[in-house]
Amino acid sequence: MWDIILNPFVTILAWLYAALNQDIVLAIVVLTVIIRILTFPLFAKQQESQKKMQQIQPQLKKLQEKYKGDKEKMSQAQMKLYRENKVNPVGGCFPMLIQFPILIGLYQAIFFALAATPFQLVDLSERLLIPGLDSLIPLQRMWSPIPQLTALLPELDLTLSPMENPTYALALPLLVLVTTWGQQKLTMSSVGQKPAKKDDDDGDGAGGQAAAMTKSMTTIMPIMFGFFSLSFSVGLSIYFVTSNLIGVVQYSPQGKQFLGRIFGRKSSEEAPVEVVFEDDEPVKKTRKRRKKKPRRK
Amino acid sequence: MKQAIRSRMVLVICLVLGALNLSGCVGARMGVSWPAIGLIDLYGETHITVAYNNDVAILSPANGAPARLISPIDGEVLRDSQNNPRTWILRGSENDGSQFFSAPIRLDDDTVLIADNNKRLLKVDSVILEVQRAYPLDDKVLTNSLVADDTIYVPFQNGGLSAISLQDFRLKWKLATDAGVWAQPLLVDDMLIVPSIDHFLYAVDSSTGARLWTADLGGAVASTPLHANGRLYVGSFNKSFFEISLDGAIMSTYATQNWVWGTPAIDEYGVIYVADLSGYVHALDSENGLRERWSVQIAERGIRAGPLVYGDRVIVASRDGKVYWLDRRDGQLLNAREIDERPELLGDMMLLEPGADLTIDEPLLLVSSVHDARLLIAFGVDGRQTWVYPR
Repeated sequence: MWDIILNPFVTILAWLYAALNQDIVLAIVVLTVIIRILTFPLFAKQQESQKKMQQIQPQLKKLQEKYKGDKEKMSQAQMKLYRENKVNPVGGCFPMLIQFPILIGLYQAIFFALAATPFQLVDLSERLLIPGLDSLIPLQRMWSPIPQLTALLPELDLTLSPMENPTYALALPLLVLVTTWGQQKLTMSSVGQKPAKKDDDDGDGAGGQAAAMTKSMTTIMPIMFGFFSLSFSVGLSIYFVTSNLIGVVQYSPQGKQFLGRIFGRKSSEEAPVEVVFEDDEPVKKTRKRRKKKPRRK
Repeated sequence: MKQAIRSRMVLVICLVLGALNLSGCVGARMGVSWPAIGLIDLYGETHITVAYNNDVAILSPANGAPARLISPIDGEVLRDSQNNPRTWILRGSENDGSQFFSAPIRLDDDTVLIADNNKRLLKVDSVILEVQRAYPLDDKVLTNSLVADDTIYVPFQNGGLSAISLQDFRLKWKLATDAGVWAQPLLVDDMLIVPSIDHFLYAVDSSTGARLWTADLGGAVASTPLHANGRLYVGSFNKSFFEISLDGAIMSTYATQNWVWGTPAIDEYGVIYVADLSGYVHALDSENGLRERWSVQIAERGIRAGPLVYGDRVIVASRDGKVYWLDRRDGQLLNAREIDERPELLGDMMLLEPGADLTIDEPLLLVSSVHDARLLIAFGVDGRQTWVYPR
């Protein structure tokens, strides 16, 4: 099943390797950029859904307070709120579910292409879909960041971990850590989540809990990825850094605007629909008007 | 307090799931290679050797049981502190975490040599099963070394080969290659043939290491060539099989369906049998260049190891977990045996025939897998499973 996704990725990677003067690092970077750009519409949809959810959070909280103890009523009211705001609570999951196998496929393709042992390489024989690419195997796994300075910066073995490479390769896990952190930070701000504060808790503990979780994830995830990168091959670390950097560009307002223009997407600036309930029954709904921005002179 | 604990729990679960995802992403293929099998004389009888991951074992060909260590003084079986008989299994865990993918080589009655995947050549006392000395090597070893004329030729995983004197274990000469040497070198008179995954076949003077010729085969060469008819026969990863003269000229080429990774077999009529990683077996006449006799796809998955010829049959083992017996005249399937749980049959095969030093009643076909519970499987000539060696 995975082969349907994986084999084309391995083939494209090998093809790019051939096209880019047998530079596997360049091939990894280019393929990562292509995949991240192609999956941008899915990513944008997921972001939009998350943002909408974030916008109706205050109303959701009000409902939770109002219907405390009556789960059925609360769920009905929540559904109505979602409907009126055209929000699907699991809407963000679908684009993510599509993106996930693509990104894992890309990650696995790099892993298979950088086969360093017979046991790994034997698998590659079933994965190259274009004739002629077999003559490139094994792909060149020694890579120098600056070929003119190999005395200062010796070649890296892309199939080995940073620990087994020259000392300067240890900068890669650090880069993974920093770029993962950067991407996480921008993700939080782009969906409207604020950094957690102690007084975020609104009494029921849920807000504080979520904020604490967010804060912990922003701290722990980069450390976790940085730590894993110590044992991953250098080639995979390069993929992580590239992917994170593209993520940073995608999540930044300018990047989103630029990519949105390419894919013809407009970001939703509409304020959420407020649903008013009286005596447990919805009686009217109002749409808040957007505040007019003062025109620039 | 409760909420804090719950929050931590959720976080831990998320991290575990993240770690699981990452491990899933890496895929299951984290191994190095497959078992290396061979034969060795021990206590005056021929035994089977199998080297895989953390163990090297010497087995009885009769039943696949590890050989027992016998005292040279009284001929009694050596026993451990709990009075259990000691068996010939060298464990990497007891020897600085050694990993083995290279079969042991007998040096003399009491000594064997084993090149490990930890850049060491181990000199082992085969009587008491103890490492006497570990000589450092330039790189990891993942295929069999070759011994000839007081020299051991050790091929390296990441490239190159060293010729080391067996007298004093000093380096005689080195051959540099651009990528790994993943198959045992071949000695043809004084010429050492070294296949490399850097796409080249190297021929060097076995005593000096002087390069005689190189042949560019357009793809990785990961198998030991077959020497027959005054020619070399070898396949490569660019889906080709070659006939090469002993001075390095490519005489003839045959297109296969996929990579060729195993050493071909030849019968008494000069017909060469080649298997490839698409599950095809090809029979080629070799009298005037390479001409196809028949070519059949026999297995669902690739065939890594080279075929064997026995009587009127060609035998191949596939990654689909099956062993196939074909009619060598037309490639028709005669018999197929599925190994329990269908492990990938990646290691080389071996055919043993009864002899003075080999205590078996009938010919034995050895097939090796990467499944710990079925590392080595022995079949009779009729395809009946005789014994299984689990690790």
